[in-house]
Amino acid sequence: MVKSRDFFIFFLLLVLGIFFIYIYNNIKTTKEDVYNRIEKDQIEQISTILNALQNDFTTSLNIKNSDELLNAFMEEESARKYEHTISLVMTPNIKYAYILYKDEKNKFRFILDASKTDKASFYQKFDVDRNEYMDVYRTKKPVILKQKDIENLYITLLHPIIINNEVAAIFSVDITTKIQDIILQSIKPLENFFIILIIVVVLFMAMIAMQLFHYFATRKRVFTDPLTNTFNRNYLEELQNVINLNNYSVAMLDLDKFKPINDIYGHQAGDFILVQASKIFKTSIRASDILIRYGGEEFLLFIHNRSGSSLQVCERIRESISSGNYFYDGNEIKLSVSIGLHKHPALEKNLHEAIKIADKMLYNAKKNGRNRIEVYDEKEESDNSSSSKDISFVKEALDENRVICYYQPIYDYKNGEIYKYEALVRIIAADGRIVTPFEFLPQIKGTNMHYKLTQRILHIVFDKARKSKKGISVNINFSDLTNTDIEETIVKHLKSNPKLASQITFEILESDEIDDVELFKAKTNILHSLGAKVSIDDFGSGYSNFKTIIDIEANYLKIDGSLIKNIDVNVKDYKVAASIIHFASQSNMRTVAEFVHSKNVFDKLVELNVDYMQGFYISPPMATLIEKEKLFQ
Amino acid sequence: MKAVIGVLFLIVLAFASDHTHAAKAEILEKIFANISMKKEFIIWSDDKELIEEFDKKRTFTTTTICKDATLIILENKKNIDKTCSEKPVFVLDYTLLKEVPQSFGAIFWKKGRPNIVIIAPRAKAQSIIISDKLNDYIEDKIW
Repeated sequence: MVKSRDFFIFFLLLVLGIFFIYIYNNIKTTKEDVYNRIEKDQIEQISTILNALQNDFTTSLNIKNSDELLNAFMEEESARKYEHTISLVMTPNIKYAYILYKDEKNKFRFILDASKTDKASFYQKFDVDRNEYMDVYRTKKPVILKQKDIENLYITLLHPIIINNEVAAIFSVDITTKIQDIILQSIKPLENFFIILIIVVVLFMAMIAMQLFHYFATRKRVFTDPLTNTFNRNYLEELQNVINLNNYSVAMLDLDKFKPINDIYGHQAGDFILVQASKIFKTSIRASDILIRYGGEEFLLFIHNRSGSSLQVCERIRESISSGNYFYDGNEIKLSVSIGLHKHPALEKNLHEAIKIADKMLYNAKKNGRNRIEVYDEKEESDNSSSSKDISFVKEALDENRVICYYQPIYDYKNGEIYKYEALVRIIAADGRIVTPFEFLPQIKGTNMHYKLTQRILHIVFDKARKSKKGISVNINFSDLTNTDIEETIVKHLKSNPKLASQITFEILESDEIDDVELFKAKTNILHSLGAKVSIDDFGSGYSNFKTIIDIEANYLKIDGSLIKNIDVNVKDYKVAASIIHFASQSNMRTVAEFVHSKNVFDKLVELNVDYMQGFYISPPMATLIEKEKLFQ
Repeated sequence: MKAVIGVLFLIVLAFASDHTHAAKAEILEKIFANISMKKEFIIWSDDKELIEEFDKKRTFTTTTICKDATLIILENKKNIDKTCSEKPVFVLDYTLLKEVPQSFGAIFWKKGRPNIVIIAPRAKAQSIIISDKLNDYIEDKIW
């Protein structure tokens, strides 16, 4: 989805942004580290020089205490000499270098100033933060002051001048910010680059965030019903791709006799009722349930398994609606709701099938008196009667090789022989019960499972025919014929074995919807060309396009059982069967009558001169190919 | 006393990074609050921006006519009129203390740090009483 891509880009930008901030921060840390290293290096150098200077003037001037030091620099000549000496060792980074003397009132005074600018007079007072300067006297160790508040100064090194183990004065050196500036200037472009990158990333993130916000705002509008503030049908389309039906029951809710409310009190009253009802629906369900206004006064509710019994939820809704009092414009309106519930929608092919069943249940609820819940529980029904099976039932049977065929003889009464057999699919259920196709074929119609089942049957039939040398008919749909996999299977087995092909008859359901006649003809021609025979199954039950039947040159017409079963008592059926037999005879096709369940029917068919007969009177479908001796038992 | 001076020092430091007139005015206010003269403070200064700062704060009366003033704040020796030569002067440069005989105090920046000097004998000669709170800044002579 497009929005997933947006989320990914947003996440990517976030990671990039964090990465750039990390790099930027690293540059800052590195800068600080460089500063500290330079600072340390400078201080070490200066300290070495200051120690040398101190040794020089204490020894050469023979100074023994602070007063002698004061007197020594009071003399202009020696002061000038040492100012000159100090100025020689001053690097461009040193802005001021001077010696401070602490008088008896603890005021600090210049006694020597080697600075090239802003030079102080001898013994001029100097206002400083005395605590830090006093620390030098106390600890007798150098102190480094970070100068954050003094313009152009970076650090001040306070170096004690120790004479006879006493601090006689302080050598003070002010270092400028020049080195810092140089480093800053060198790193600045890199810093700026990362700042710009971070800004660009943040801007992009903002743009994507806005886009996402806009998307969600629009999405909410598109998927929300403005009147009831529930989801609308658009959301259903979105939902079907993501919902796991295993976690939900589906309920279709419809307000009873809503149309009269609109007709009697007007549409505004109808809207009012819809709002009130939807409020009740919402308060009766949980956040994990999904309520959709399906249309008009119809709502679709997906009840999550964790909300408890779906039937209880529906009952709660039904009761709340019917027990509520609704007044509009001074009129009391009676309201109730009918609900169709499908407890196990996951058993259906898709969401729409599940909704269809819930809707059918809703119809039953309306039909059975309204203000009630009708439940469709396929799982329970399946467990109780096993009357209906789903795709998974067929799939498991195929996987576990439980698909078999039963064979019903097609009898040639004229010579008393079994002409051939019709293969009829069966599934052996897990409990060993033989399940007939009526229980599972409708559920898999139009699905891929149907084609897989057809292919399996073809393999079984071909194998049986090959081994038994008997003729066998197999049922096949038009849609099966158009399936390339099935066509390949047929061609593969029959093309190389004409004997086998001659044994096989494909019974194509006449009632099946054949929408492309030309394609139908082409496919039956393939069967003819392989040497197999074609029979039109259930003839008379569908639309019976006689021309198509003649055109495809079918070998047999199998008359639909609905026309045969009452042939002994129903004159009309008798006449229709007679017509079909006559038509087949004229068209060079032989006829098979199915559903021959009694001697009377048998005799009538003999009278009509049908070619072959099939039915329980002759023999029921059996697991094996029975011999003629076993007929009519 | 120490507390007052500490506050003064902090204020000074807060403004020390740039020698703004606001910082100067702030310091001078603190100093003048701790000195007293026989006459009311009427301040004239050749630093017009400093006068503007005082006017903004309305702490002191200012004047544009030197002879009406009772206290001169001087930045440049050339700017003082002869008619004012006898009035007490507070200078904005340490060297002016030597050059202007009636100057009794100075505020100036030395090596990037704010400094205050008050010459006690000169103040006394002009009947200016200095509070003990300013003891740290008092000098007996100009060095």
